[in-house]
Amino acid sequence: MIRSCHFYSGIFCRATDVRVVLAVVLVTLFLPGCVIGQAIIPADTLKKLSMEELMNMEVTSVSKRPEKLVEAASAIQVITNEDIRRSGATSIPEALRLATNLHVAQKNAHDWAISARGFNTDLANKLLVLIDGRTVYTPLFSGVFWDRQDYLLEDIERIEVISGPGSTLWGANAVNGVINIITKKAHDTHGLYVEGGAGTELRGFAGLRYGARLNANTSLRVYGKYFGRDDAVTPEGSEASDEWHMGQGGFKMDVNASAKNTFVFQGDYYSGNVDLSTGGTARVKGGNLLSRWTHTISDHSEMNVQVYYDRTSFSQPVPESRTEDNLTVLAPAGTLKDDLDTYNVDFQHNFTLGSRNEVVWGAGYRFTHDVVANAPALAFSPDILDRNLFSVFVQDKIRLLDDLFFTLGTKVEHNDYTGFEFEPGTRLQWNVNGTHTVWAAVSRAVRMPSRVDRHIRLPTPGFAPIVENLLIGGKGFESETVIAYELGYRAQFGSRVSSSLSTFYNVYHDLRSTSLSPPDPIFGLQFPLFYENNLEGETWGFEVNILYQVFDQWRLRGGYTLLREDIRVRDGRFDFNNALNETADPQQQFSLQSSLNIFDFELNAGLRFVDSFVYNNTGVPATVPDYTELNLRLAWILKDNFIFSLNGQNLLHNRHAEYVISRPNPSAEIERSVYLKVSCRL
Amino acid sequence: MKCRVSLLWLALSFTLVSSREIAQRDISREYQIKAVFLFNFTQFVQWPEAAFPTPDGPFLIGIIGRDPFGTYLDETVQGEKLGDHPLVVKRIQSPDDVVNCHILFVNASDKADVKLILEKVKDKPVLTVGDAPNFATLGGMIRFLKEDNKIRIRINLEATKKANVTISSKLLNLADIVETQPH
Repeated sequence: MIRSCHFYSGIFCRATDVRVVLAVVLVTLFLPGCVIGQAIIPADTLKKLSMEELMNMEVTSVSKRPEKLVEAASAIQVITNEDIRRSGATSIPEALRLATNLHVAQKNAHDWAISARGFNTDLANKLLVLIDGRTVYTPLFSGVFWDRQDYLLEDIERIEVISGPGSTLWGANAVNGVINIITKKAHDTHGLYVEGGAGTELRGFAGLRYGARLNANTSLRVYGKYFGRDDAVTPEGSEASDEWHMGQGGFKMDVNASAKNTFVFQGDYYSGNVDLSTGGTARVKGGNLLSRWTHTISDHSEMNVQVYYDRTSFSQPVPESRTEDNLTVLAPAGTLKDDLDTYNVDFQHNFTLGSRNEVVWGAGYRFTHDVVANAPALAFSPDILDRNLFSVFVQDKIRLLDDLFFTLGTKVEHNDYTGFEFEPGTRLQWNVNGTHTVWAAVSRAVRMPSRVDRHIRLPTPGFAPIVENLLIGGKGFESETVIAYELGYRAQFGSRVSSSLSTFYNVYHDLRSTSLSPPDPIFGLQFPLFYENNLEGETWGFEVNILYQVFDQWRLRGGYTLLREDIRVRDGRFDFNNALNETADPQQQFSLQSSLNIFDFELNAGLRFVDSFVYNNTGVPATVPDYTELNLRLAWILKDNFIFSLNGQNLLHNRHAEYVISRPNPSAEIERSVYLKVSCRL
Repeated sequence: MKCRVSLLWLALSFTLVSSREIAQRDISREYQIKAVFLFNFTQFVQWPEAAFPTPDGPFLIGIIGRDPFGTYLDETVQGEKLGDHPLVVKRIQSPDDVVNCHILFVNASDKADVKLILEKVKDKPVLTVGDAPNFATLGGMIRFLKEDNKIRIRINLEATKKANVTISSKLLNLADIVETQPH
């Protein structure tokens, strides 16, 4: 994270004078010594703030909570509420474009491929994503359905993006990175907020939140939002028939029951229609309920218990499958349905031991109940599956010298696929002069098998009994593993420039491959294909970030990411896809974001360059060309609580491709778009 | 052109801030914010007439224990008045002087010390403020606490009532309310 200090502007930030607040933000952000000796804000500036604003000021830059300390010495980037608002992002994936350590590729109007440090395939599966502590990756393929993860962006406090393994604390699936989406406390969202707008792609949207203090210790907010998005286009320029309509609502209640006990209760419900370019409309819906109890045992010890229930369902048309020559129907069209119920409980305890040890340990249990209604051409066997996941972890951060820390920990998990998995990690952190940090880490992470790896079927009833399935999951499919070596450096140069550099060298084993069955005796056909773990390889590269405060009113932020991959078939083994199927990653990415204030106007620009990359179409490599795109936002702030903004997205081209989708879907391209937005806080 | 001038001015003021920052390097952001909270309390709390011996006598903000504010609190209250009472910061050397204060910031973490000081001002119209872990439950009136890296305040309403200082509902709305621990 390049900005070691940040200020999360709360709802009240517009209550007095936006320029004063902004001046405070900018001054606090960029003065030197953010890490230890902190900048002095003139008393006159602070005195102009309301009590609410004072209460929203960040006290220290690095959080004292033990689970955060590991992040301070890691490749973390934080996207604040202010960053999201000023970028003009209209969805969580668009907001994630601000994290330059991610590759965010929009596949069509409603789908994204998002990954850190490579492996950004159609079924990208090496990223752990959490919303307020609730895991949102699907055990169906260990990836994320990004079209179902939404929130009123105004009420997101921050998004923490960590590239590199986070498995010692977070566990399986935090292989290449962790995304933590954290919503604001109900205490910080009192009052009414209304937003709405319309544009060329984002055809219409509206959002509303109302928050109130129920009594001295309890606050509640409720929200609702709705949007409709237009189709993307095919390379030929016709509509890709992938419109997207979604509504979501929810609540969050924070209770400070006593000095030592706080409770959070929250829940969301969403429902939407997603048109598919292959024909028909997918229906998605789901919801969740979460509760967390935090108990302060003493000044040096805190525990929390979190329980949640999550249900997510979809029903989507699956087109018929045909042979290569298009003559024979292998399987007729149908509908695939999935209902997933997740029950989860987590316990965590942090405490300091003596003057040198900060210990965090915890345990968790997750139960998932997955019911699939199979389509003729796409199926899972078994169709109903219950899974248990147990985990315990412990981590100790030891102060070796005043400014030298050594962290050692491990997570042990037991899953129903592969039994016990060990995910140890160790980290060394040296804070030099309070303005420079050097860190190094070695961690092991695993990706557990998902249902796709073990249970998928592409049945071919039209060809039976010669071929029953084109593809099946591998009975013996094991966990994929990585050992990651990281070295990082973060620094503050003078009062206006800060930067971070994270380098990595990852060694992967047992990556997913596709094998052929032995030829049948009559026709010599080698079906079904099935998954094995025959790939291995290394990736290496670096992520660099620079923040430059040109003036108080003008901030520039640049990022560059280099990624090299060498994934190959293990000696003596085979992969039908020639080791091309697990990667779809640009070697280079560059981004430059500018944020300028002129009187009552905010002007933002975001430029990004994404290198070309190779995408595998069933064994045949295709290339997605490199592209450069520009987003602009001009906003006028009226009377501190109305904001009118004009937003342009992907302005440099009529349309451009960011990804290719496997057949039979036609690939989609993303069009230039413009939208107007009005928001108001009362 | 006007815009350029204003940016220049901002750049200049930035430099001024930076040089001042060097002089006060040791004061943490936390205590800068807390100093301004202390000043703001004068706006949200009412003291009884009897707390002021003369109509234009000073309004005293006392600090007992090590002074964590440096010159920041002095700068914050410089030239400020509550009615006709100019705000003055006073470093308390002897515990006997605490009774003359209107706001008393107690910088002590030892339970016995805190109790001793609070005993001195018991039922007197002195708004006691501190950040010791159990400051409010020990009978202190306002405790600063850090939550999510932000300052929250916790008010012991019973203690303020006994001392005859009135806290505005606006401030109460923003604070957590606690009861005194029975001992």
